[in-house]
Formats: sequence, C-alpha cells, structure tokens
Amino acid sequence: MTAHPWRQRLYHLLLWIVALLFFSPVLWIFMAAFKSGGEIVSPTPVFIFRPTMDNIIRVIQEPNFLDYLKMSFVLSIGSVLIAIVVSFLAAYSFSRYRPTGTNFIMFLLLSTRMVPASAVVLPIFLMYTVLGWSKTFHGMILFYAMFSIPFSLWILKGFLDGVSLRYDETALVNGGSRLHTMFRVVLPQVKPGLVAAFIFNILFVWNEFLFNYILGGQGTTMIPVLLATGVKQGGMTDWSFVASISLIYMLPPIIAIFFFQKYLLVGMTFGTVRGEV
Amino acid sequence: MAQTTYPAEAPASATPSAQTKRRLPLARALDESRFFPTILLGPILVFFIVWNVVPLLWLLGVSFYRYKVTAARPPQFVGFQNFLDIWKSTEIWGLLGRTLSFMVLTVGGATILGMVLGFLFWGSGRMPGRRLALTLLFTPMVLPPVAVGTFFRLIYDPIFGIANFFTEKLIGQRFDFLGSKDLAFGATIAVDVWMWTPFMILMTLAALGSVPKAELEAAEIDRLPWLKRIRYIILPNGKFILMLGILLRTIDSFKTTDLPYLMTNGGPGNKTEFVGLSLYRTGFEAFQMGDASSLAIITLLIAIAFASIYLYVLSYRETRAQLQ
Amino acid sequence: MTPKDLSKEHVALLRAAKAGSLNRRELMRRGIGLGLSATAIAGLISSYRPAPVAAQASPTAGTSPLAGQSIDMTILGIAGWPPSRLGVDMANELFKPYAKEQYGYDVNFSFEEAPFESLFQKAATSLQSGSAQYNIIISDSQWLGALAEPGWIVRLNDIIAENPELDIKFEEAAAIGYRIYPDGSDNIYGFPQEGDVIGLFVRQDLMSDQAERDAYKAANDGEDLPQNWDDWLEVDIDRYERIAKHFTRPDKNLYGTAMQWSKVYDYVSCYAYPFMFSNGGEAWDPATGQIEGIVNSEINIKGLERNKSFLQYAPPGATNYGIGEEVDVFTAGTVATCLQWSALGPQMANQKPGGAPDEVADPSKPVTPDKVLIVPPPGFKQEDGSLKRVYTLGGQPWVLNAFNDEAHQQVAIDFMKFWYLPETQLEFSKRGGDTAVIEVLDSPGYDDLQIHFRAYKYMMRENRSKDFWHDPNYAEMLAVQQEAWNGYMTDVVSDAKLALDYTACKQQEILYDAGRSDIAPSDICSDISL
Repeated sequence: MTAHPWRQRLYHLLLWIVALLFFSPVLWIFMAAFKSGGEIVSPTPVFIFRPTMDNIIRVIQEPNFLDYLKMSFVLSIGSVLIAIVVSFLAAYSFSRYRPTGTNFIMFLLLSTRMVPASAVVLPIFLMYTVLGWSKTFHGMILFYAMFSIPFSLWILKGFLDGVSLRYDETALVNGGSRLHTMFRVVLPQVKPGLVAAFIFNILFVWNEFLFNYILGGQGTTMIPVLLATGVKQGGMTDWSFVASISLIYMLPPIIAIFFFQKYLLVGMTFGTVRGEV
Repeated sequence: MAQTTYPAEAPASATPSAQTKRRLPLARALDESRFFPTILLGPILVFFIVWNVVPLLWLLGVSFYRYKVTAARPPQFVGFQNFLDIWKSTEIWGLLGRTLSFMVLTVGGATILGMVLGFLFWGSGRMPGRRLALTLLFTPMVLPPVAVGTFFRLIYDPIFGIANFFTEKLIGQRFDFLGSKDLAFGATIAVDVWMWTPFMILMTLAALGSVPKAELEAAEIDRLPWLKRIRYIILPNGKFILMLGILLRTIDSFKTTDLPYLMTNGGPGNKTEFVGLSLYRTGFEAFQMGDASSLAIITLLIAIAFASIYLYVLSYRETRAQLQ
Repeated sequence: MTPKDLSKEHVALLRAAKAGSLNRRELMRRGIGLGLSATAIAGLISSYRPAPVAAQASPTAGTSPLAGQSIDMTILGIAGWPPSRLGVDMANELFKPYAKEQYGYDVNFSFEEAPFESLFQKAATSLQSGSAQYNIIISDSQWLGALAEPGWIVRLNDIIAENPELDIKFEEAAAIGYRIYPDGSDNIYGFPQEGDVIGLFVRQDLMSDQAERDAYKAANDGEDLPQNWDDWLEVDIDRYERIAKHFTRPDKNLYGTAMQWSKVYDYVSCYAYPFMFSNGGEAWDPATGQIEGIVNSEINIKGLERNKSFLQYAPPGATNYGIGEEVDVFTAGTVATCLQWSALGPQMANQKPGGAPDEVADPSKPVTPDKVLIVPPPGFKQEDGSLKRVYTLGGQPWVLNAFNDEAHQQVAIDFMKFWYLPETQLEFSKRGGDTAVIEVLDSPGYDDLQIHFRAYKYMMRENRSKDFWHDPNYAEMLAVQQEAWNGYMTDVVSDAKLALDYTACKQQEILYDAGRSDIAPSDICSDISL
C-alpha cells in the first residue's frame, strides 16, 4: 500500500483503537485481579490504585489450583491430539477414496456440535455409569476428543483436498507403502491445517465447564469448574478470585494466539489457500 | 497476509526410497487390503457411535416417555404426547421467537461488525505491533464464560458498574441495563456480539486470505470499483469460509445457555429466557427427561435445518472444486 | 398406602432392577451393535438403577464393628457457603480424633462442593446412577422431596429409633423445615445442618446520628428512628417504609432498603413470601396439593404489591439482587437497612471470620462491625393491633445417601451423633454456624456468641419462620414462580394478580400432571400467559 505516511499512520492508529476497545472489558477484569475488594466494588470506578499481588497468590495457593491447572493442560492437549490423529485418518480416507456417503457422514459428524450440551450430558453420564467410565481419566479425555473431532475433520479434509493427488501417486509408484505415503508424504503438506485444528479445538476444550462438572471427578477436574464453584465465598461473589483465575487461565491461550496467529488464520481458510502467491 | 505455499507438482524429495526399506507386516497387510479406506474410518466411527449415536438414540427414545428422574413412578410410554404438549403450550412460541431474534441479532451483529473490521484489518500487514493488536482483539473469545457472566453483571451494575460511569459522563444518565425490561435483551446481545465479533473478524480475514492474489491483481489493473471487486471476486472465493463462520455462530447462538444463565438468569421476567436455558431447566433442574428430550430433538432439527441451508451453499464450492 | 409402604415397594422395585442389571448391560452392548430400536435402549438405560444396599440401619453396639478400619467419607456441600465448609472442617479436625478414640476406626473426610444453584444437579446425576460417591449431602431444604421420592436418601425414622442420641429436640421450624417429607407426615429425611432465617441489617451509625433523628422526627410527626433491639421489635412494615423513605437519597448514593428481588434460584420468592405469610397468606395446601385460590388469594396479591412498593427505596438494579449483591451493596455503604439471611451476619458486618468481634475483614470497605445492628425484620399489623412476623426459612439439612454401604452408613450415623453433641454444637456456634438445637440456643451467653445470634434465635422461634413446598416438583414450581414474580417486579408482567394467577395455574398443572394432586387446573388457566 502506498498511501501517505500520515494517512497510513492514522489507519494503523484506528486499528489499534479498535483492538484496544475490544480488549478493554478484559483489561478491566485483569485490573480487578490486582485490586482489593473495596476497589472492585466501588460506587466510583477505581482506575488508579496500588496493585496488590495478594489475590493472585491466594488463588495459586488454593489447595487444588495447580492440580486442576495441570489437568486443564493434560486434558486439552491430550484430547485434541487424539482427535487430530483420528480425524486425519478419516479425512485422508474421505479426501482420497471418497467412500459413498462422504458428505452425509461429514454432515452427521457436524451434528455433534448441534445438540445442546445440556441435552446430551445426562445420556452420556448414564452411559458412562453403565460402562464405569464416569470420573475416569480416559472417560474424560475420550469425550473431549469426540468434542474436537468434527471441527478437526472439516479443517483437515479441506486441507487434504488442496493437496494434489500427485503426491500420493508419485509416492506409491515409487514403492512407498500406504502408511508412508499418508504420514511421510501427505501429512507434512497439511501442517498449517494440523496446527490450526489443534489451536482452535484447544480453545473450546480449555473453557469447557458442564461436562467436566458432571462427568469429571477429583482427578479430572479442570479450572473452569474451580472457577464456577469458587465464584461465591461467604455467600458473596468473590470478584478478585474470578478476576485472578481468569487472568492466569487466559495467559496460555493468549500466548498461543500470539505465537500461532499465522496458523490460526491460515487454518480457517480450510485449505483453500493454495498454489500461486 | 501470511499464506502457505503448495507446490503444484510434487517435488522429487517427496519420493521415498522405500524399496530399500524393510516393510513391517502391518504396513504390508494394509497395502494389500481392499478395506484400507474403511479401516481408516474405523476410529472415527467408534467415536461417532459411542458418543453421538447412543446419546441421540437415548434422547429420541426418552422423548416418547414421560420420565422424571426425581419421581418414584417408572417411565411411562406416551408416544408423541411430549411433542404435542410443546406444540400446544403458549410459552414455546414466545421462547422460540425470542431465541430466533436473539440469534439473528447476535449473529447478524457479529457478522456485519466482523466483516467490516475484517476488511479494515486486511492489508494492515505493515502495521506496527499487528500481531499483538490482533491477539488483544481475539481475547474476548477465550475469556472463560463464568468470568464473562459474572463480571458483566458488575460492569452493567447501576451503582458499581463502569458502563454506567461512562454513560453518566457522556449523557448524564445511568441505566439499569440488566434489570430493565427494555434494556436487558439488548444488553445481553451486546455482550454476545462483543464476544464473538473477533471470531467473525478471524473468519473474514481467513476468507479474504483465500481469495487468489492473481484475481485481485487483475482487478487492480482493470481498476474495478470496490463494490464490484467484493461482489465478483471476494465473495465468490470467500463465501465458503464466511458461511462456515456464520453457521458455527448460528448453531452456538441458537443454543446459548451460559451467558443468559449467569448474567440475567433469563430475567427480567422472561425477557432473556432462551431455548438453551429452558432446556437446561427442564432437563437439569426439573429432571423432566421426557420433556427435555423432546425439546432437544426439536432444537436439533432446527439446527439441522440451518446446517442444510449451509450445505446448499457448500455444494456450490464442491462443484467448483471438482472443476479444478 | 402410607409413605412407609411406598418406600418399601420402591426398594423392592429397585432390587428387581438390580437383579436384571447384568443382563441389561450385556443386552445393551449387543443392542448398540445390532442397532436395536431407540426406545429399547432408552428404556434400558433409564431403568438401570442399582438397589440401595444399606437402606436399613445397622444396629450399633457399644464397640464398633468397624474398629481398626480406615474409611474415606465424602461430603457434598454448597461452595463458598461458610456453614457447609464448617461441617467438613469440624469433621476432620474434631470427629476424626473422636472416632479414633470412641469407635477405634480411622476416618477421613473430603469435601466436594458445588454452587448453590447447581448442587442439586451434581447430587442428582450421581444418585441417579446409584452411586455412593457422596456419602453425606448438604441439601437445600426444598430438595428433600426430590431426593426422597426416588429412594436416594435414607429415611431416618428407624435409625433415630435405634439411636436415641439422635432423638434431639430441635426448634419447631427447623424440625419441620429441614426434616419432613411429605409435608404433614412424620417421615424424617434430614438433620438440620445450618439453621437460617431472614434478619434486618441496620446501619446503626446512621440511625443514631442526631441530625438524622431530627430530620426524621420533623418529617414524621415526632416519631423517632429506632435506636435499639427493643425499638426495632415494635417496628411494623409501615414504619419501616417511612424509615426506608427517609434514607432514600439517590443524589447522595444512599438508599433506604435492599431485599432480594432476583430471578435466580429462590431469591425473589423468599423475600416476597413474608409479605403474604405474615398477613395469613399461604403457598399451598400440602394435604391436597391445592394451589389455585391459595397462592393467588387477595392477601397474597396485596402482599406482592406491597413487596414491590419497596423497590422505590432500593438502589437501581435491585431487581437483580440476590445474596451476594446485597452483601456488596450493604458493605459499600449504599443502603441504610437490608433484609438478608442471618447466616451472613459476619460478612454483612465486614467482620473477620474467626477474629475478634470488632475485627474488620476488608479495610477497603466503609462499613465496619461497630456500625451494624442485626434485628428481627419488621412485623405486620394484625386486625387486633398485634404485630406478626412470619418470614421464610433458609438453611440446609444433612441427608444420608441410601446407596452407602454398611460401613459408610455407620460412620455417617456416628458422625451425626457426634455432630449433635452439645459441645460440638457449641463449637459450631462459636465458629459462626447457626444451630437448631433448643438446648444450645438456650445456653447462657448464646446470644452474644455471634453478631447475628440474637436475631436468629428470635426469628427461629414461635413459628416466625417457615419453609414452603418440599415436593419433588419443587424445581419446576419454583421456576414458574420466579419468572412470574420477578416479571412483576420488573414490569414485564403488568399486575400482581396476573403474576399470581399464572403462578397458581402453572403450579397446579405441574402437580396435577405429575399425579401429586387430584385437583386439575381450572378453566381460566387454559389461556393464561405472562
């Protein structure tokens, strides 16, 4: 773009204002993490205050906080990894062999996302009870994997459709096995799709509450449940608790978005970005 | 914007020197199997059946029963009675109407705002601190729902809320945003739009990124007016991604539960009572599984209807893909 | 059929289901494979319910059969609710060594918590699967029916008969409110864990301010502001309104009153009922399940209107006030008086938990313990000129999981015996819990143990507090009522009569459909909507 420098500067300033405007409520919550109770709930908003670390220290010292945080990482990353492996296999099959009913099955899988969570949590809970999976680690991680499959499948199929069949043909003609072709030749071509599916689904699992609350137990609880159960302290809303946990808990996704932004954007193109640049 | 390159031809480096490698028996078996495509689908089908088909069949089955978990009497088969009850009740139409208007307004709001801002951010490649700005822009999406619901009650509060601090400074008036029957619906929509506009910005940026550079350059050379560029070049190419964004938002917005539950609990009165919330109450507070299941089935059917419209648009892209 | 027969029959039913459960599991596996019809699967899963193992009490001897064992107990309680927390803390601190010494076993308590509004879901999903995951549950009183009806919690009558130590004299309101289901029967399902009543929280510093008193006197024909407990006992609702009006100064960000008007959970109901109950209104007839004509009576319509009239003296946004919002607004110094659950005494007074009476919990807040007086809420003048107070009962009972195995049930019973020892109850009171044991309430010096105890005891006695329905359909009945009443408070519903007619019709329909009442909703109900 070859606009006048000052016009461009103005344009960039405008963009920054938009970004900060969207960020401002989040910032307000973050600020509360460093305020005392009376400064948060004050008839005149407090903008300038002496920051205190007490709230954050108190939250970290919560008996289960670190365990739950660890579980958030383990469950989010683990389940999405499983989902991506499963989705990649299926997406490869759908993209390369186009079995009958491909579109229909893809559509059916998306329907997982359409059922309201509060409607399926009870059937799944009862099923888990019959199978003895409730409160177990594998029950939780496999459920979240299912949660993440539809979207991963759609993203990966989009990307795989964009990878020329010649890759497969060349590899197979040269005597490569099917597995070799899939994982060594085609897989590297859809790396942006993998990263995008990974980030995007993690954002969903990371903040999930209802299923974790009902299906999870002591060893499988994530931070959102702690947040929901800790909102009230002594009968009143514990604002600094909510603010401090939100602050700590949002840092990993924010860092991820910062570093993998490129993939997030490319991933959302569903593989339609290709060829000539 | 950043793009990934896909070579049109497979480079020679991709060819394996596999003849020299010793093959594992598993790989050999797979190579010879006629069922290879089906085997690849195995895991996903297991997931699909266990976590999707079973609960759905359960829902469908229970929707024909009068079944209250907290009652002593056993489930009783009532046929389509639950659906008839929903059809006849006076509340359901208000509920659906309110939910649909919430959906249209939030999705519409987020889409329009998201597209406008997405266009604005397009071509900001040389903006200083662009990555940080975009990261900050995307933060509302990753805020835990409990924090959103809890804190917006405080932000909107007529006494302690910062929103009212600004309205008083600007127009000299304070509002009871969540308590007033005229404002609560709008205030809830505003928060939802705020949360999800970044998502639509993301989708718009992705959609714009998927427009072939060559076509844009051609348009630049032809000095095609901007509206025509949007209509003939950008929309046809970016439609799929935008529609997908809209579809995902539509489905999620239709079943919104967290936000009204935490912020207004459906109040004042029933002003922000939506299908998702009602379903939650029926299923999870009253434990009327029969009624809840039939309502869930209806919700699902409506969601499928939205998705079908989307698929119709998608089929356009499929034909285009096949032509290439 | 008596309720006792009913519960027996229910246990038999559950046993039968258990006997077939293995088969069903097998069937279900195959069923999925074969794509068995949807209804069949639904039927199978929904009927899968193991039988309660130890629904009947095991006999207790002097020496425990559990001696030498180590047992882990889990209590499910309300998150962030100090009395719930006290129950668990005291269990680990005090009962553990007591059990070791008295019974010779080791016991460990862990606490699972859930927010007020979603505790029942957590409990119900677990109990529905026949799980003994939560051995003891701190339930809300209104959930008794929903927990007892499916046979999830233990009927305690036999246990109490076998353990005379558990035959304790509780205050009448608590003995009914936290224990009995169905209403009017003598089936006992719960033990009072935390008693709770509505109290009036007053800013004493404002009331005793000379300038305020003069201004108030000038405006109200020489009537003075209430200065102490005895003055407040004489205050009726009209005088309270004058006081609230006096302190309402929006330009100074000061308001006269705050109550709970929120739609969340049972908030608006609990604070509107007193305006009905105190004038002779009722919620329903527990014997017949009659609601129409009772909840929408003239008295109740007037009561609801009166309750709404106080909104003009409350801060803007008060229609969203629940427990927490009231604490915020009171401790920020924005209201002069506030109706609130007495259990929140220390929090409302900004008093450090476990500290000295005048120790401040959060110095950044303007209200401090010395500025707060807690008194009984205003009375309502009766025709004979006397004052009457019938307010809503709060508080929670303990209930015992019916799926507990024998050992866990025994520990639960031992714990209950320990809990109701006078020493334990006194310790509970010292830590801020509200006991319902008459003997403890009567003990000398009780009133001064906590800032709110005098008002609590007063309101707990002589039927000044009462609970509403314990029916299993509680959640639906409440949802309808909250929507209509909060709708009326926020002008979504035009008048009190419509709000109450709607409530009556819908609740009658709920009870009739569920087979809990033979009375069908009347004709006017067919086209009533908000």
